[in-house]
Amino acid sequence: MSDVQPTEMVVEGPKRSAWRNLSYVWLVPLAALAVTLFIAWQSWAERGQRIEIRFENAAGITANETALRYRDVTIGLVEDVAFSADLTSVVVGARIDRTVAESLPADAEFWVVRPEVSASGISGLSTVLSGAYIQAAFDPAPGAGATKFVGRDDTPLVLPGMKGTKITLRTASGSQLTPGAPIFHKGIEVGKIESPRLLDNGSGVMVDAFINAPYDTRLTSATRFWQTSGFSINFGPRGLNLSVDSVASLVRGGLAFDTVFSGGGPVRPGQVFDLFEGEEQARDSVFSETIDNAVDLTVEFDESVSGLSAGSPVLYRGVRIGAVSDLGAFIEDMPDGPSVKLRAMISIDPQRLGLDADAPAAETIAFFANAVKGGLRARLASQSLFSASLVIELANIPDASPAILGIFSESAPLLPSVPSDLPDVGATAEGLLKRVNDLPVEELLDQTIATLAAVESLAGDETLRAAPDAFVALLDDARGLLGSPDTQALPAELKVAISELRAVSEELRQADAVGKLVAALDAAEEAATSVTDVAADIEGATAELPQLVADLQKLTNKANSLEVEQFLASAGAFLDGADRLIDTPDARALPASLTAALDEARSALAELRAGGVVENTNATLSSARDAASAIEQAAQSLPELSARIETLVAEAEKTLAGYGSQSSFNRETLSSLREVRAAAQALSKLARAIERNPNSLLFGR
Amino acid sequence: MENLRSAPPILTARDAGLIGCTHCGKVDRPGVVRCARCGARLRPRDVDGLQKVWAWLIAGMVIYIPANLYPMLSTASLGKTTENTILGGVIELMHHGSYGVAGIVFFASIVIPIAKFIAIIYLGLSVTRKVRMPMHRRHTLFEIVEFIGRWSMIDVFVVAILSSLVRLDFAATITPGIAAVSFALSVAFTMMAALSFDERLIWDARNEDAE
Repeated sequence: MSDVQPTEMVVEGPKRSAWRNLSYVWLVPLAALAVTLFIAWQSWAERGQRIEIRFENAAGITANETALRYRDVTIGLVEDVAFSADLTSVVVGARIDRTVAESLPADAEFWVVRPEVSASGISGLSTVLSGAYIQAAFDPAPGAGATKFVGRDDTPLVLPGMKGTKITLRTASGSQLTPGAPIFHKGIEVGKIESPRLLDNGSGVMVDAFINAPYDTRLTSATRFWQTSGFSINFGPRGLNLSVDSVASLVRGGLAFDTVFSGGGPVRPGQVFDLFEGEEQARDSVFSETIDNAVDLTVEFDESVSGLSAGSPVLYRGVRIGAVSDLGAFIEDMPDGPSVKLRAMISIDPQRLGLDADAPAAETIAFFANAVKGGLRARLASQSLFSASLVIELANIPDASPAILGIFSESAPLLPSVPSDLPDVGATAEGLLKRVNDLPVEELLDQTIATLAAVESLAGDETLRAAPDAFVALLDDARGLLGSPDTQALPAELKVAISELRAVSEELRQADAVGKLVAALDAAEEAATSVTDVAADIEGATAELPQLVADLQKLTNKANSLEVEQFLASAGAFLDGADRLIDTPDARALPASLTAALDEARSALAELRAGGVVENTNATLSSARDAASAIEQAAQSLPELSARIETLVAEAEKTLAGYGSQSSFNRETLSSLREVRAAAQALSKLARAIERNPNSLLFGR
Repeated sequence: MENLRSAPPILTARDAGLIGCTHCGKVDRPGVVRCARCGARLRPRDVDGLQKVWAWLIAGMVIYIPANLYPMLSTASLGKTTENTILGGVIELMHHGSYGVAGIVFFASIVIPIAKFIAIIYLGLSVTRKVRMPMHRRHTLFEIVEFIGRWSMIDVFVVAILSSLVRLDFAATITPGIAAVSFALSVAFTMMAALSFDERLIWDARNEDAE
């Protein structure tokens, strides 16, 4: 150790003060301390004011999770949930923002917002996920700083701090009042009602209502409230009237208000209004109330006042100016003994007449006195066409017997009355009703029903349904018959035959008719010379006559058996068939069952239309018409033809008459001519028949 | 082991009135400002060194208080917000049965920082006071403290990762609380305290013991 050489050196200078030795590093812990203290202070400052809210139950409230909200902004958090000392309620402790807590008044409302489904909608849906929260509502009062509150079980309808007017409604029954039901003014929702509550004496129901701010200026002392049940049925002169308001008000009910007369005073908060059953009653109520400064008049009636009662309106030119206040009878001594008169006391509202409310009664009476001089009379009138109730109508009757207002009357001025035209109206109505009553409506109905049943049964009949088919088939047959070449060729054949005949006679005439005539005459002379032979011949000829007649008949038969007859026969058969069809009991039962078949007929028609049957029928008819016209054309030429034939035959006969009746040629010619004439006659008969009624071919009649 | 308990007396630079470079170990004369070899600033050990340790340590301890009292994480899930402190988080993890994770969090966030505080206090005191622990063991302790300090940041990392990953708006959102910042600062401060501790002071006491 001795070889260690300590060096000369200054190890340390003079000791500096403790403060000077301090390192700057010490600022770090100081800063850390400051930051920590700041954080601590901040969290303490942010901790908020503790408040306690008393609830009936704590459904949905969780400590450290449930938030408190004011105007949907979170202002605090529930700190703990505990029972009150007597276990009757739940005390929810919460910390809320200090600035909010400062202006928290003692009447602040707190309620738990949960999802809720009601008639008026779904609310609080957002709380399904986020959980319930406590909503606060209050009217901020700076410096109030209340810390203990009583929470509500339900959502308040009127939140503190809402602008508007709170009023109270009074009604006899709260059956239609649902808490939260809307209040409408001219169809706009302007407020809500709260829960109805019974009056202490049980005589009625009171309900608080709140009219929102811009609309509460519509409230005056002349405002009337009534219930709107969502729908109303009204039967009047214009028929049945069903009006339905919004579905919400259908479910919840609702109220409406309107100012029914002018001149109402302002409303103070909490004013009590009467709630009426309906709008009519609300508007009528104006008059059933005591009229300020009412002027009483009396009216006497001789006729029945059944239908008039206290409260019945008094109308002046249709405007309601007052009401009947009392009704009574009294005995009046008349020259012909005492008689009972009915007297009505009426109250007139001077305001409704346009007079000042505070005008003296004398002014009103003076007005009436003047009016009576001008012809004003009271009379009974029916309130409406459908009601038996009466009103007193003040009407100007220019030709009324002069009268004055009975100011001398001891009780109230007597307004002269005139008999109403009511009985006439009644009688007329009665007569009308009687006449209506006398109408054989029931018989008519019975008949109609029977007819309809018959029609129904007919229409339902299978045969009838098959009838159109049969008809079509018939028409087809007829068309086929008419259109058959045989039938159509008939006139042509006839013409040909006749022209041939003419040619024959022409030949006869041209060839050597004269020569032959001369020869014939010669022969006749010759014959005359040998009368005896001739007489014998005549006898022989006479013996041959029957045979000629038979031949002739045969010929006629032949002519008759031409196809025309066949045609006629078939036409007859057709007609018969048609007749038979029409004669069938089914057809006769046709009118008896027409109605019920209406739809069947309709469907059948639809089928017909669909199947083109009508078109077919149309085509058939048109072709039938064509055929008929062809026949007609042909028939028109027939008479001419037959006339010609007849002249021809006559000529021929004449010729033949002079020709001599003995020769066989003569006979044959004669018979053939007769046949021809018969044929011509048959033809003309047919032509006439067709001419007379061409339709018979089609319709068989 | 005998050597460890009482090392043989050797001549230190300080005993020789010289200054050793803390970087390269070259010994210089006093009054030289920079090391002639490596150019590092030569620092004689002084009481200031211990002063810095105490300052950083106190800062770390002060800031450790809010780190434990305030929420580390606030988890907003479906409108419900839950806030957890470090210890609360550990307890909740245990309730969920994650004992392993709970243990890690507890060890990293509570045991290690507090152990560090105690260790640094002990080391600091041991410089000026007589203690029983041998110098070699104290040196080991210091090395452990210096090494393990950064691992305390594990909690802060977890919070940082979670809050940046779990941002599902309404469904779930994790935001770091005040405690996360405080805790990070506390860890940083204690690391600074460990750094500013001049381990040469441990050995200086040996000579005093010897004397």
